[in-house]
Amino acid sequence: MKRSLSFVSAILLFGAISYAQQSNPATSPPAQPEAPAAVPSRSVSPAQAVVPVPVPIAPPKPNGPVQKSLVRITATSVEPDYKAPWNAGALERGVGAGFVITGNRILTNAHVVANSRYLIVERESDPNKYPATVQFIANDCDLALITVSAPDFFKNMVPLKFGGIPALESTVSAYGYPIGGERMSVTTGIVSRIDFQLYTHSSIDQHLAIQISAQINPGNSGGPVMQSGKVMGVAFQGYSGDVAQGVAYMIPTPVINRFLKDVSNGHYDKYVDLAISYSKLQNPAQRKFLGLKDDDRGVLVNTVVEAGPSATVLRPGDVLLTIDGHSIASDGNVELEGERADFQEVVERKFKGDSVKLDIWRDKQPMTVKIEFLKTAWPYLIQGHSYDVRPRYVLYGGLLFQPLSLDLMEAYRPTDLRLRHFFEYFILEQLYLQHPDVIVLANILPDPINTYLAPYRGGIVDEINGKKIRTLDDLARTFAETPERFVIRMIGDGPPLVLDRNKVEAAREQIKTRYNVLKEQNLEEKPESKSPEQANNI
Amino acid sequence: MHKRLFVTFGLVLVTVSGTLAKKEPAVPTPLSKQKQLALVRVNVTGQSYDYFRPWQKKAPFSKRALGAVLSKGRVLVTADLVGNQNYVELERAESGEKTAAKVQVIDYEANLALLEPVDKTFLDEITPLEITPDTVVGDRLAAWQLEPTGALLATEGLVTTVQMTPYPIDVGEFLTYRISLPMQYRENSYTVPLVKNNKLAGLMLRYDSRSQLLDAIPAPIITHFLREAESQNYRGFPSVGFSFFPTRDPELRQFAGEIGKGGGVYVTNVEPNTPAMKAGLKVGDIVTAVANNEIDQNGNYVDPLYGKIEFTNLLTAHAYSGDVIPFRIERNGNPMQLNVTLEHRDAKDYVSPPYNFDQPPRYYVLGGLIFQELSRQYLKEWGAAWQREAPQRLVYLDHFQSELFPEGNRRVVILSQVLPANSTIGYDELSYLTVTKVNGKEIKSLGDLAEAVKQPIEGGFIKIETEEDPKQIDLDAAQVADEAPILQENYGISALHRLD
Repeated sequence: MKRSLSFVSAILLFGAISYAQQSNPATSPPAQPEAPAAVPSRSVSPAQAVVPVPVPIAPPKPNGPVQKSLVRITATSVEPDYKAPWNAGALERGVGAGFVITGNRILTNAHVVANSRYLIVERESDPNKYPATVQFIANDCDLALITVSAPDFFKNMVPLKFGGIPALESTVSAYGYPIGGERMSVTTGIVSRIDFQLYTHSSIDQHLAIQISAQINPGNSGGPVMQSGKVMGVAFQGYSGDVAQGVAYMIPTPVINRFLKDVSNGHYDKYVDLAISYSKLQNPAQRKFLGLKDDDRGVLVNTVVEAGPSATVLRPGDVLLTIDGHSIASDGNVELEGERADFQEVVERKFKGDSVKLDIWRDKQPMTVKIEFLKTAWPYLIQGHSYDVRPRYVLYGGLLFQPLSLDLMEAYRPTDLRLRHFFEYFILEQLYLQHPDVIVLANILPDPINTYLAPYRGGIVDEINGKKIRTLDDLARTFAETPERFVIRMIGDGPPLVLDRNKVEAAREQIKTRYNVLKEQNLEEKPESKSPEQANNI
Repeated sequence: MHKRLFVTFGLVLVTVSGTLAKKEPAVPTPLSKQKQLALVRVNVTGQSYDYFRPWQKKAPFSKRALGAVLSKGRVLVTADLVGNQNYVELERAESGEKTAAKVQVIDYEANLALLEPVDKTFLDEITPLEITPDTVVGDRLAAWQLEPTGALLATEGLVTTVQMTPYPIDVGEFLTYRISLPMQYRENSYTVPLVKNNKLAGLMLRYDSRSQLLDAIPAPIITHFLREAESQNYRGFPSVGFSFFPTRDPELRQFAGEIGKGGGVYVTNVEPNTPAMKAGLKVGDIVTAVANNEIDQNGNYVDPLYGKIEFTNLLTAHAYSGDVIPFRIERNGNPMQLNVTLEHRDAKDYVSPPYNFDQPPRYYVLGGLIFQELSRQYLKEWGAAWQREAPQRLVYLDHFQSELFPEGNRRVVILSQVLPANSTIGYDELSYLTVTKVNGKEIKSLGDLAEAVKQPIEGGFIKIETEEDPKQIDLDAAQVADEAPILQENYGISALHRLD
């Protein structure tokens, strides 16, 4: 999987909105049905997209009775509260779409069902509401499979079949329930671009995505985008109207097929990743310096993530020449089935346990190496959103310690430069080696015992009583010890934070009661309690 | 960081004293008709350096301001008025007569400058302003402005607070008067004198029109500046070089060996090569008195004029570089005395200099790669919100410079941007990278870089290593040299480097 290595690139697409979780559809403008026109329109680049874009055109071939495949999903979800992590969190309700595929399964977006506590599925011309459960959820590619246990539900439903990658400029139709409507809506547009995109649901993963000009709005999420009776993709994200119009994205079938194959063994293993950063090798002097031929081949390895699968195999300064036999051009592209694609697309198609063969150029000598995808490069996870997990925290003496993550950053929006640096350079500076958890004193519940401690807020715990604290578990273990006092050193120049253990113990119940703290710590990110069936499948 | 937090504690307490001071009329007493106002208009044209194209200056700016006429034919203005000036002109308020002036002494940190007319007789009939150093909270000061006719426009306001605040060049904090005063807009309102009984009490530092609060550089800072300006060698306000934290937290006090309710501040950091380190101050010490003034748990001493105010005032307004100041400290509960010899810390003594005016920035252009040294002046090219807008990595390096480069005595060389050229094909999107090595040699200044590029490595290549991706940039030394004239021509680069 290709990862967005810097936080900056995540911001670029921040204007993209997810299409299901908007709980207040009333504020969105009503969908305007448009008359089909006969003239084919051209693809429009985002820069030009100021003009209200493409006139939808009639599909060349009807897609059949999609009503018999489409479902409307209403999810009631609980968003964890990172500022009061002992609470269950806020209840939210969102509407999305999904469609029946073979094996009595319904495919939808992960963001439609992530964090859900209760799912209802409805279909056209049936007054019943059917409870549903999540089978598999892949937050890294925004796909999920759900199912309905009601015995007759799938009887009259028609499973949809998947096609390939549609041609540029060809017409596609998107089906769903935009803006919360209860009846199926169809919009059409053309295929504008096929490229790697940031998937904003996790906001760290990049995969292939297809840009289409069809009008897609909240409620379209998870719905099929079809051509000639076959599913070409799943509608999933776009820009809010003030950023760009007529630009929507769908998850293409290679990503969907990969997901379906991954879960075929009963669990979702996630994408695998080389976990390296690289630069293009287009400078002639640099090519000469590295002893490369003038053949436009190869990319330069910059950083090899220690926690990733390439750690013991690749090193900075290596040049990657081929991947599984595909020659890598100096701009990082390979030729796959007649199309030019980023060389990481080869890795995208791999599964956990697979390996990749690379011809590399090291110290002006050719070499062949094999990289096995056995472990996930976990440090990336803190830079993306988490779902269906309980926030980890330790509350001690009214001081709330939490590990740094994107969710934490978004909850508190800290301006502290050190905190932001630790977040953005967690991987590139390999900060995770010293701080697998970056433990932040994120908040203070005021009490007489911590009344002078406000200036320490936002600090990162380095050591306690002379002992390095690397993980939240370390912190919890240390606080369970019984010294006279805890001397907490934060990273950087600053005074130590000193806690008298007896005073903390004495104030404990009072703080718990005053702030209605149900639990003083949570060290496990385990899924929150769901129905046993769901819990088993996640 | 801690210091700033601490200051907010301080603000609350500073207003305690001064309310008993007698109210004196601040409006000028009727002047005899012949007597001339001790005010001149000051017209300044200047140009700041363009840090994105460091070989050139930006378009000229003009500022119109007022200056306070002092004794010996000198005119006092703020430094931010005349920083980066090309030409300064004095204009008599009533007659409109003009003369050129030059900057005699400038202190960017205290934001003060002295001007001297080229025509020595220009200020002759003017009775200079005397300085009154004893303004306290509750006094009324008049802001002196000029009407277009040259007549005086005086607006009176109340001194509400005397406190330590950061000045525009954020190096330490200085004594500041805060005055509640409804200023009227007039041209020339850049430097506005504040007057009490026809004597100069302060100079406007900033004004917030919404809250109608005016901050002024107070007379004690002006007097300090003038006194040093009279010596041959202006050194500037002293700095000590340590950070501190209040000791109100009883647990922290106990940890530091303090028992009871005594005062003092906890030393959190001592910067290398500073007076504090030379005097032997250590992290964890508690400073209990400075210059024989007891310090409370928040870091305030009792000033005879202002009551409680942060002790750093003792080291700025009241002390000069070279003074030896006794510090009473407690180390692990044992009282000790340290004698700190104060020094001024020059902007150039920082790893990332906090300001740079009237000096062109250093740079080195190599085959389209523009190398510069990190400075706050460079970061301020991103505007008032530079801390948010500028590349975050560079802001981080600037902010934590003493922690990240404890050895000091170096610069951070950055690859600022890349001009597209034949040698830089494929590199044109690189920017804001920090350079670690060139041709295998460690780079701690642009001078190092200039030396290192003279010795290409085997095969005639220049290898530049960066802290960030892509980690390595390689150039063909011969191609770089061949292309230099075209590069200069195409991008209008007057000189490929400036190193002094």
